Amino acid sequence: MSYLDLDDVHVRLGDTQVLRNVTCSLDQRTVAVIGENGSGKSTFARLVGGLARAESGAIRILGLDPAQDASRLRRRIAVVFSNPDTQIVMPTVIEDVAFSLRSEKLPREEKAQRVTEALERFGLTAVADHASHDLSGGQKQLLALCGAFVRRPDLVIADEPTAYLDARNARRVADHLFEEGAHRLLLVTHDMTLAQRCDSAVLVHDGTIVAVGPPDATIAAYEERLRC
Amino acid sequence: MLTLYRPGDGPWHRLTAGRKSAVLGLIVLGVSVVPASWWGAALTAGVCLACYAVRGAGMGALVRQGIAIRWILAVTLAGQLLFLGAETGVANTVRICAAVVISGLLALTTPVSELLEALERGLSPLARLRVDPQRAALTIAVTLSTLPVLVRLEREVREAQNARGGGRSLRLFAIPFLVVSLKHADALGDALTARGVR
Repeated sequence: MSYLDLDDVHVRLGDTQVLRNVTCSLDQRTVAVIGENGSGKSTFARLVGGLARAESGAIRILGLDPAQDASRLRRRIAVVFSNPDTQIVMPTVIEDVAFSLRSEKLPREEKAQRVTEALERFGLTAVADHASHDLSGGQKQLLALCGAFVRRPDLVIADEPTAYLDARNARRVADHLFEEGAHRLLLVTHDMTLAQRCDSAVLVHDGTIVAVGPPDATIAAYEERLRC
Repeated sequence: MLTLYRPGDGPWHRLTAGRKSAVLGLIVLGVSVVPASWWGAALTAGVCLACYAVRGAGMGALVRQGIAIRWILAVTLAGQLLFLGAETGVANTVRICAAVVISGLLALTTPVSELLEALERGLSPLARLRVDPQRAALTIAVTLSTLPVLVRLEREVREAQNARGGGRSLRLFAIPFLVVSLKHADALGDALTARGVR
């Protein structure tokens, strides 16, 4: 069953039509969104993440309408951006992870338990009391992922999460994103090896979706367009 | 900034944020009304030392706090010595120094998450005036934790300026700094929304 259905969706930012005639239905667990800079793929991710509004068209995400169920959707979706510095809210690592559960109605003990487990899963236990902004770039992105996954989201949207990282940290972050679990993944990326790890890929060009399908075929279509 | 917090299990750490704020507030009030004399300065300094001479705080932290505000103290002392004389000038400067560093114990011994909860509780009566305590407390916490980012952005803008042969022009610095700060604020807003903040 598809978790994302868009029908003739248009998005305008100021005077610019960023997305137009976007129609797609996604049901694969991991989906890559590829395309050139400025093609609209980040806006597509922001739209699905509830950070951008559609001008027109019908949207169903995880079976919900974002216009009517925004807060319910926010609890089920986590977004990870490329720059980890903009995602850090609290001064220490443990507090930043706990911050993600602030609006969840959970007993204090359960929150603490979840934070402990998440820190362990992302290898951040040793730096739990460290200043968030003093971490290395790789650790900061792991912290951003930890803050996203501690909420146990149904859908994780990652917008170029490895863009600022070296090869080793990029692999670590990607491995966490692709870990088997209950979550689905929508991954915006310029890294074709990451796109190939996905079950499906979406090619965005000039504000519209021009191809959806297996990663190999979609990447080939993208490379064909780059040659034109 | 609020990474001033040092984990510990001393008496200050064990107090709840609310009680600690009240106790520290009373001590600061106390040192503020001590007469401006030599013995008053000595008493104030003694109280300040006593506050830090407990497990979990320590003289090292006191020295770091003092160093952080050294320029404020220097300017204050110079002005006071010039207009009020040695005894009053020194006593007033010691008072100001004590008030600041004693207040600093709150951030030094309380995690921000606890401060946030205490702030929310403290601001809850304002809900009647349609002030959202959760949002107000969060605004304060985010403002404080954003300060290190602004310091980093400032350094990056300066470095970019130097790399391109720019001088020390305030105008050339202020505009890009403002732009990157606003961009950061925008991104932070998205991050907060993405993490479930209304």
